[in-house]
Amino acid sequence: MKRASLRASLILIVVALVAGGVAYAGLLPSYWVFLATSVLITGVALQSLGLVAGRTGMIALCQMSFAGVGAWTVGYLNLAEAPGGLATWILIGGFAAVPFGVAIGLPALRLRGINLAIVTLSFATAFDTILATMTYPGQTDFLQVPRPELFDSDEGYFVFVLLFYVAIAVSLEFISRSRLGASWLAVRHSERAAAAHGVSIATAKLSAFALSAFVAGISGGLLAGYLGTLVAENFSMMQSLSLYAVSVMTGAHFAEGAIIGGLLVVMFPEILRRLDWPQDIGNVLFAIGATQALSTGETMSETFRRQFRKLLPARAPKAAAASASQLPAPIERAAGPALSIEGLTVRYGSVVALNNVSLSVASGTVAGLIGPNGAGKSTFIDAVAGFLSSYQGSVRLGGKPLEGVPAHLRAREGVRRSWQTNRIAPELTVGGYLALAAKGLSASETKAVLDWLDCPHPDTLVASVDAGTRRLLDVAGVVAARPAVVLLDEPAAGQSHEETLRLGQRIAEIPKLFGSAVLLVEHDMDLVRAVCSEVTVLDFGQVIASGPPAKVLSERAVKKAYLGIEEESVAA
Amino acid sequence: MNPLLTSAVAGLTAGGTYALLGVCAVFTYRLVAVVNFTGAAIGTAGTFVLIALFEVGFPIWPSVLAGIAAGTATGVAIGYIMTRWFGEASASTKAAVTVALLVGLIAVGLRLTGGQHPHNMPELFPGSAFRLAGVEVTIASVLTIGLAVLFTILSDLFLNRTKVGLNLRALADRPMAAELLGVRVQLLSLLVWGMTGAFTTFALMIIAPQRSPNFMTLSLLVVPALAAALIGVFRSFWRTLAGGIALGIVEGLASSIDSVSQYRSAIPFLVVLAVLLWSQREARWDEAR
Amino acid sequence: MHWKSRIIAAVLAGIGLAAMAGAASAAGPTCKDGAIKVGAVSTVTGPADFSEVPKATQAAFDAVNAAGGINGCKIDYTIADDKADPAVAAQAARDLIDNKEAVALVGSASLLDCAVNSATYSRKKILSVQGLGVDAACFSSPNVAPVNVGPYTLSTAMAYYATSELKTKKLCAFFIIIGGTQEAYKKAIENWEKISGQKIHLLDLTLPFQGDLTPYVIKARDAGCDAVLTNQVEPQVVQLIKTVDAQKITGINWLFLAPGYTEQVAKALADTKQPIYVGTEWEPYTEKNSAANAQWIADMQKANRPLTAFSQGGYLAAELFLKVVASIDGEVTRESVAKALHDMEPLTNPLAGSPYVFGKAKTHSPMQATKVMKLEAGAWKVETPDWVVLPQAK
Repeated sequence: MKRASLRASLILIVVALVAGGVAYAGLLPSYWVFLATSVLITGVALQSLGLVAGRTGMIALCQMSFAGVGAWTVGYLNLAEAPGGLATWILIGGFAAVPFGVAIGLPALRLRGINLAIVTLSFATAFDTILATMTYPGQTDFLQVPRPELFDSDEGYFVFVLLFYVAIAVSLEFISRSRLGASWLAVRHSERAAAAHGVSIATAKLSAFALSAFVAGISGGLLAGYLGTLVAENFSMMQSLSLYAVSVMTGAHFAEGAIIGGLLVVMFPEILRRLDWPQDIGNVLFAIGATQALSTGETMSETFRRQFRKLLPARAPKAAAASASQLPAPIERAAGPALSIEGLTVRYGSVVALNNVSLSVASGTVAGLIGPNGAGKSTFIDAVAGFLSSYQGSVRLGGKPLEGVPAHLRAREGVRRSWQTNRIAPELTVGGYLALAAKGLSASETKAVLDWLDCPHPDTLVASVDAGTRRLLDVAGVVAARPAVVLLDEPAAGQSHEETLRLGQRIAEIPKLFGSAVLLVEHDMDLVRAVCSEVTVLDFGQVIASGPPAKVLSERAVKKAYLGIEEESVAA
Repeated sequence: MNPLLTSAVAGLTAGGTYALLGVCAVFTYRLVAVVNFTGAAIGTAGTFVLIALFEVGFPIWPSVLAGIAAGTATGVAIGYIMTRWFGEASASTKAAVTVALLVGLIAVGLRLTGGQHPHNMPELFPGSAFRLAGVEVTIASVLTIGLAVLFTILSDLFLNRTKVGLNLRALADRPMAAELLGVRVQLLSLLVWGMTGAFTTFALMIIAPQRSPNFMTLSLLVVPALAAALIGVFRSFWRTLAGGIALGIVEGLASSIDSVSQYRSAIPFLVVLAVLLWSQREARWDEAR
Repeated sequence: MHWKSRIIAAVLAGIGLAAMAGAASAAGPTCKDGAIKVGAVSTVTGPADFSEVPKATQAAFDAVNAAGGINGCKIDYTIADDKADPAVAAQAARDLIDNKEAVALVGSASLLDCAVNSATYSRKKILSVQGLGVDAACFSSPNVAPVNVGPYTLSTAMAYYATSELKTKKLCAFFIIIGGTQEAYKKAIENWEKISGQKIHLLDLTLPFQGDLTPYVIKARDAGCDAVLTNQVEPQVVQLIKTVDAQKITGINWLFLAPGYTEQVAKALADTKQPIYVGTEWEPYTEKNSAANAQWIADMQKANRPLTAFSQGGYLAAELFLKVVASIDGEVTRESVAKALHDMEPLTNPLAGSPYVFGKAKTHSPMQATKVMKLEAGAWKVETPDWVVLPQAK
């Protein structure tokens, strides 16, 4: 991962060096350098938008307002003759935009896309009118924002902006491949799954908004130095809206997407002027382009990347090859109940989903929870993992009550779960996913865990992994974190008989290899019989039997509850 | 005469507009599951057809009908895009599409109508209805509020009491499932788009003379309208109605207080923020994900 | 051909060239490649269309070119659209300066050209004879001198007219403030207070650009204003008067600035009984028989351009610029044009009430006179046949 970041960054830096060199050596007319500077500044703004819109999947329609905050801050610092010069002012401008980003991000904590779109649009409107009444600092005295002496010429300022662009792009590259970046993608794909990995949704969303506002603020500051003085229209709502359309169209969360977007925004007016066509065609084309990108679900950058990959000879990553000895060391835990649940009752309105369920999983063992469809097994996992807003009864982890502890903190305390449906962000690599699920895993440990479950190489993209393997990957992530308790929600569903047998062996090894107690929720009786030392049977939310599998599965009530189900579960 | 009451009454006209557009937004959302940012722009398109016809000398009421037809057609056209290509897309993707379409619509609208010249917008319902707190409450504003209330009642009845309404709600929740049940998804969705298009067009025709009839400013009425819809959490028509009228009144009040008057267009934002933080104060997991 | 005749031809050619060069250096402007490149940055598409201004400039230049140009130099004129988008405006200005190598900007009319580009103009040492100065920066930059009165001076002039002619006691002013205009409008009212010795009764700087105006007209009524001065632009003028009528308010004189002076406004407000006054930037363009308008009308009709106030501005800018260029001795370059504009004597033109001068001042607003029009039954009538010239502040 680090290596991939380094490689991408190096490419970027080399391209930037060439571009900077060409511009500085005066090989381009100064007008083209002037345009190229504009492309880069728009590119910075687009990168900031890509962060929230592209990575976390939130509709943000006020990006230029953040840029306005940065620009105005630079103006005031200039008027006040603050020390430090333009570069420092720009950074301060970026920081000034952060509180705004966080304030806008706050309602996003619990809101999904659409509400956020309305909040950001009304913020942009509000900011528009407020900014419109404010003269740019120094404008009435004809005071310009001065450029640093070294970068005063058009070429010089191009290099200045280029330095900022590269610094931001490289930082974003590293951040996006870090656990924080993976958590953004995870939040975008499924907030519940992200929380189940101990990711705080609040931190993930707010950090994205704060960082995005910071970068947008910087783009505003760069614009201030570029034009010397600014007007409110630079940051109007329509600018934010069309920037959003462009970012959707090109995929601004990719470094090249931001540049393509910048090129479109800057070159369209240029081309239209040369063709003597009306300028407003640009917005119409952006709208069509964005609609097209949304309908195919593929941005321009993604299309380019796909085409580019086709050109390259397919280089299948080697299967992970590492010995079991490289698995992360198990965490020693005291004997006794790892997880104990007493009197758990869950109601949805008048429907009782779980009624006074008690169950305990001993440390170092695999316990089973079975029951026909609709018996309340998934509700049980949701309640234990903290995804229900209320339940009665108590859930204790090694004696510690978990009531009132939100899902992501339960995950960090040591209650981890897998999912029935695939909830892994397809944009992640297999290794990136494991890094998100299990903090601080070394490269060799990652490989060992993947190998242990027959998962593909860490560099493989999740999107290219088949559904069955993704379920294994889900399990791999959960166990790699070595939590006190692992809750597996029907891991064998969709697997072949041979695969299920192998998976059963692996599940049986979990307590020894990783030090985690396992609660296995399954339909497959053979699997349960093979790996579980204790089994609890649920029917209509009630415990109808519990004990060693051989005894429980022969009970009449259990057979009755399962009558006609068994065949179906084999078929599944 | 209480100056505060006066300015509150003065804000009623705007309030009625926000309420009506807000109720239309909720209607669209509940029936076709789209948060429609182009709502006001659709109505604006129809209104400008009326203006164009009226300016070249057509009689007023046929022009109104033609305008409403144009608004309906625009609504259906956008609805076609949404159902044809985005029927199965997520709510935020659909919202993003309407944002993109809004950018395009405004550009086209400004191009066709010209920004700076006033258009001769006929007043459909001239005159004032009554005088309250020293303010003439115009027939147009009474009519907008009345229309908003009427639409609220109708929508409420339609959605909760009629078979078509129930069908449509099923459709908004699960288009695929509704299709399997034999509901003609595409046709019904287009019907909804057309209906809201016609309503917003008529609403905007009534209020356009009291606004500056400019394509962009009329289209951006969608911002307070969606704020009103958010107050109703995109579910309750009555709360949306109340929210829209309240927004207008608060704006009216703000314009009478000098210190805040300059910032009065920030009001929808502050209201939206407050409402959201209040209504979402309990953590909820999105069931879909 | 014999070698002798070749020599003769060469000699003759040499003499001819020398003679032409001598004639050029003796008097009048010269130019490289037979063209003087001039540009304009204007809002053509987007929220407003000011293209009639530079198009009238174009028409005036075309007429000169058709007649052989200035001293043989044709004017090569480029109109660049800025879409009212600052980024596009900046690009357009750089394109004109760097690529088109314009010697000056003439007849520009834009919502934000001055605010965005005046810094560039002073960095690149190019001057702009603005056809229609809209934003405040047009009247506060060293490199821009508009040929119109502008909303700020016109506000002072209309307020002055209200107190001196309409005998207004309680003058109220409502202004829409958009970027950078707050100080300018405040100063306009201060200037009027100095000239008239009166105090403004009510000054409201919060008029919304969009939105319901009812609260504001109620405010004006309840404050007991005799006259209300506002800077509403065209569509809002109609909106305001319709709102006033809806509220059945009477007894207030409504004073607007030049953007209200259009035939569309007159038509849209044909039914109102409100007393409505507007101040013009130039000789009222609706007065088709006025002697002052005669030359402009003739030239516009020849070029098939509409007769609007905007086209007066573009035409006036072109006429003034042509006279300044004609006064240059030597090659017409950015430097020589700047020098000529800086050193020029005030130029009069019948379209304007004040003489135009660029000069070396830090800010420019040479035009200080208006004519007031009154709306009567859907048509504009001249209320002040003589120019209302703003006296200097005491």
